[in-house]
Amino acid sequence: MSKQSKLQPGEPAFNLMLLLFSLGIFYEAYRISGPGFESISSPGAFPLGLGIVLILSMVVIIAGQFRKQKPDTQGALDEARQFMSAHFPLPIVIFSTMAIGYLLLLEPLGFVISTLLFLFVSMVYLRHGRFVSSAIIAAVSIAIIYSLFKLLFQVYLP
Amino acid sequence: MADSFTYFLMSWTDLSLLLLTAIGTFAGIYIGAIPGLSVTMAVSILISFTFAWDVNDALALMVGVFCGGVYGGSRTAILLNIPGAPSAVATSFDGYPLAQQGEAGQAIGLSTVMSVIGGLIGVLILASTAPVLSEFALQFAPRDYFLIAVLGLLLVGSLAAESLSRGIFAASLGAVIGLVGMDPVTAEGRFTLGSMQLLGGIHYVVVMIGLFGVAEALFQLHQLNVKPVRQNVEKIIPSLNLVLKFLPLSIRTSIIGVIVGALPGTGGDIASLFAYDHAKRSVKNPSKPFGQGAYEGLVAPESANNAAVGGAFVPMLTLGMPGDAVTAVMLGALVIHGLNPGPMLMVTTPYIFWFMVGALVLANFFLLIFGLMGIKLFSKVVELPKAILVPLILVLCVVGSYSLNNSMNEVYWMLGFGIAGYFLKIFGFQMGPIILGVILGPLMDNSYRQAMSSVGDSMPAFLIELMTNPLSIVLTLAIILLLLSNLPLKRMIRSSKNPS
Repeated sequence: MSKQSKLQPGEPAFNLMLLLFSLGIFYEAYRISGPGFESISSPGAFPLGLGIVLILSMVVIIAGQFRKQKPDTQGALDEARQFMSAHFPLPIVIFSTMAIGYLLLLEPLGFVISTLLFLFVSMVYLRHGRFVSSAIIAAVSIAIIYSLFKLLFQVYLP
Repeated sequence: MADSFTYFLMSWTDLSLLLLTAIGTFAGIYIGAIPGLSVTMAVSILISFTFAWDVNDALALMVGVFCGGVYGGSRTAILLNIPGAPSAVATSFDGYPLAQQGEAGQAIGLSTVMSVIGGLIGVLILASTAPVLSEFALQFAPRDYFLIAVLGLLLVGSLAAESLSRGIFAASLGAVIGLVGMDPVTAEGRFTLGSMQLLGGIHYVVVMIGLFGVAEALFQLHQLNVKPVRQNVEKIIPSLNLVLKFLPLSIRTSIIGVIVGALPGTGGDIASLFAYDHAKRSVKNPSKPFGQGAYEGLVAPESANNAAVGGAFVPMLTLGMPGDAVTAVMLGALVIHGLNPGPMLMVTTPYIFWFMVGALVLANFFLLIFGLMGIKLFSKVVELPKAILVPLILVLCVVGSYSLNNSMNEVYWMLGFGIAGYFLKIFGFQMGPIILGVILGPLMDNSYRQAMSSVGDSMPAFLIELMTNPLSIVLTLAIILLLLSNLPLKRMIRSSKNPS
């Protein structure tokens, strides 16, 4: 990532989320060994230190926001729209959905069928068609992956 | 002495041992290079089906896989910006920009030669100074290990991230992930949110595959229509002039690699970052700016991480303490074969030490041959259209994460870390510090608690020890200097002096 003089759409909200996450980590660390900790070598001591470091570094990052220009957006809705179009274009959304579908089908269909299906469908989508070559590439890929992992490395496949 | 030399040459003169070392090195290169496969995983799997073998056969194969794997990780770091192993994180800083400029062949060729130089220097130092180095490492107190880990995380934070605060956040986040699970001392759950499943912790390979595999795959979808950079792999073998030009840097960073690798708990990952930092600070006129394809930024980590292999064997063979995750697994292999790694190994079974030294040298020669031979074929991977490559990366990530525990939970975790990594990357948080945090977090926690317990849980006593022990003073000063050099005030003074 290059240095930015301008805030990205969604950056303040993301940083705020990370600050809240850091506070959550601090709270969880505080709860280890009951509320607080008995000594500076107790199981919660180092995690508590990490929580403090997380919070402090996020505070520094958020303070740094004020030195940057605000993004060219009109309101929160426009900022969200700009964020989505910049970082979640349609191919990413659809590919991610396919990936989640693939993981869900892995156990019911087994590794070979679900992987073949995922590779074929995702390649056809990302390559805008080309059914035959996509089918060949998917079949060859699954043959190589299966023989490499299952037969050579004797790795269990899903 | 004559006996030692005979044991040293054993893997060179016995055909089956020679072949096993060659196969191990060849396989290691591709295991290290394939995203989702790690050397640790491969060596662990090897143990499961080599424990019935003769000890020399098993060790020859594993030594080959180790050497090849450490080197192989750099190939995907250069070609895909996916470090195959944590030790290749620093390689990607300048290796990937070189590939983007179409110089992957030259980059891989140079990294191969420098890896071999580093590897051979590592073995030479292992063979000649093992007892001295191990005695030096023995003097390290837990607080020193803690300080070294802090220094390592600060280094990677300041090198890889947009700002030090982002780097520190990422490293701390990684350390929190590394601590999830049961506390090894008290068996209390930490960051488990009451979940029984999380008591077992989160495997660092899952985090690594998610952050480097899935997040990178999602990022590559942004460039679906970008034609892949045609890699210039015609000129693979680097010229003698180029090798000689970088030889002094390679020797310096190899020595750094051996020393860092010899410290228990620190391996090629920290060694390569130290070396990269050394190159960045010591090379005044790099071939290109660091981070934009400087050959110096490639030579330093590649020499150091392979040299660290020799270094990592020092505490393992002489003290019975693993230098990194792979040597930890190899330690287990020695025990399975009825050997006793530690101070007595050199006394009762010295042949094992000299046999391993010989096998390491042999593996480095095979590394040179296979490393320079397979580049053309391997570089084709990067010329694959993203529309084919991205789904394949995801499948490899699924296979890699599933094979860790034969469980879909690891796969879901991997996907979760991939998505989280994608968001973090969007906003300038780098993945390297998170991974190092995951690996070093438990080590830091352990060292910190040991250090505190040793002074009776007294912070003043800890501070007094910190300020009176020479090694601790040096490490503390290094941390302070690193922090000061990254302060906004320093940058403001520097920019006011150089308005351009």
